[in-house]
Amino acid sequence: MSADTDLISRAAGGDASAFQALVERHRTMVYRVAYQFAGNHHDAEDIAQEVFIKVYRSLDRFRQDAQLTSWIYRIVMNACIDHQRRHRLGTNVAAGDEAEYRMLNAPEETPGPEARTYAGELGEVLQLEIGRLPKGQRIVFVMRHYQGMKLGEIAAALGLAEGTVKRQLHAAVHRLREALAEARVTVGGRA
Amino acid sequence: MTCQRQRSGDLELYFYDELSPATRAELDDHVVACADCRTALSELHAIRTALASRPDVSAPPAGDWSQFMSRLDSAIAPQRSESPRVVSFVAPPRRRYAEYLAMAALLALVTFSVAVAFRARHVPSAPGAASAVHHSVPATTKDNAAFAAMTEKHFERSKLVVLGLATKDPEGGSPVDWAYERELATSLLDDTRLYRLAAEDRGLDSLAGVMKDLELVLLQTSLTDDKDPATLPQIQRLIKRRDLIEKMDVVTTGL
Repeated sequence: MSADTDLISRAAGGDASAFQALVERHRTMVYRVAYQFAGNHHDAEDIAQEVFIKVYRSLDRFRQDAQLTSWIYRIVMNACIDHQRRHRLGTNVAAGDEAEYRMLNAPEETPGPEARTYAGELGEVLQLEIGRLPKGQRIVFVMRHYQGMKLGEIAAALGLAEGTVKRQLHAAVHRLREALAEARVTVGGRA
Repeated sequence: MTCQRQRSGDLELYFYDELSPATRAELDDHVVACADCRTALSELHAIRTALASRPDVSAPPAGDWSQFMSRLDSAIAPQRSESPRVVSFVAPPRRRYAEYLAMAALLALVTFSVAVAFRARHVPSAPGAASAVHHSVPATTKDNAAFAAMTEKHFERSKLVVLGLATKDPEGGSPVDWAYERELATSLLDDTRLYRLAAEDRGLDSLAGVMKDLELVLLQTSLTDDKDPATLPQIQRLIKRRDLIEKMDVVTTGL
């Protein structure tokens, strides 16, 4: 029995410390995906909360022979999509608020203008473009690029055909290449 | 015209080293001869470099998970209370656990007490009167109108806190003022949770949703540090994002 399986079994039986250990083992991965998807701490935290609440509620339905990470990835993906849908339905924050919120929440992670490098500026542009990708492309790109997951693993986690994942990745990369080309003109022109 | 190997998506797999050795060797040869694919590969490398310059965000600000864990603990508390073997993983004081047990017992008893409670139209009148709420929340599904009246009263009390928070000047005010808001929020938190549970039991989804938002704002407020200048604006944005004040007005008139 793996450590995860043991923790799930104990958590499903009512052991709160086991559920806490489960959250602590996977929260970094969940938060990273959520942040890459949402682009800000506030939404990333909301998504990560939703994920672990769903995990908690579904503990007794988890199949012992399944991969926990794949199961969690699927929950993360659904939570990201649900969150985006709700966001679109009217709880959208004004752009200024969002910028302020991001600045407020991540001061230590936002380099000052003097520290910005050319690559850093391109990275910022690309990060914004990732946020504009269709959700399917975005999830696949995040899982492949940031999480280092193989196409087969992504397909298994998302319940998609490998060919679909390949096409989504290709489409995402294509858009990022276009954004890069445009950014090089803009940023390069200023540099 | 884009190269066919690019259009097929193979180049990304080549870049991410996901091809079989044989196909990879084939692509190695192809890339040497195809300027289009070489350009694409150099762009992929540039994307990787540019994104690598961005911070790897895998934790809340300053790596502090404590509020995240507290919020999660609070969110799953209702389910936990259904399972007596599960205890909170943020190690709350024993008094709080005892309160949950008392709340569960009271909820089981309110069916009996509801008629008396509503005939008397008893509603809590002071912010700190949490125990009064425990006694007066009915658990039957027949008295939604009366329940709405009670929640309206609760919203009135809560709105004072929410409005106070929403309109407070983040630049002004003394630490004492801010501590007062936190104290009020803390005093309302348990009642709000109880009302949310009661609304969920009745299938009053809209009301339960607003209660949940209110609970979140109160929880954030009660957990914040009044010495941190960033916390009040965060709560104000949360109130705004959730349209909490408007929802508190609308949901009770719609019941």
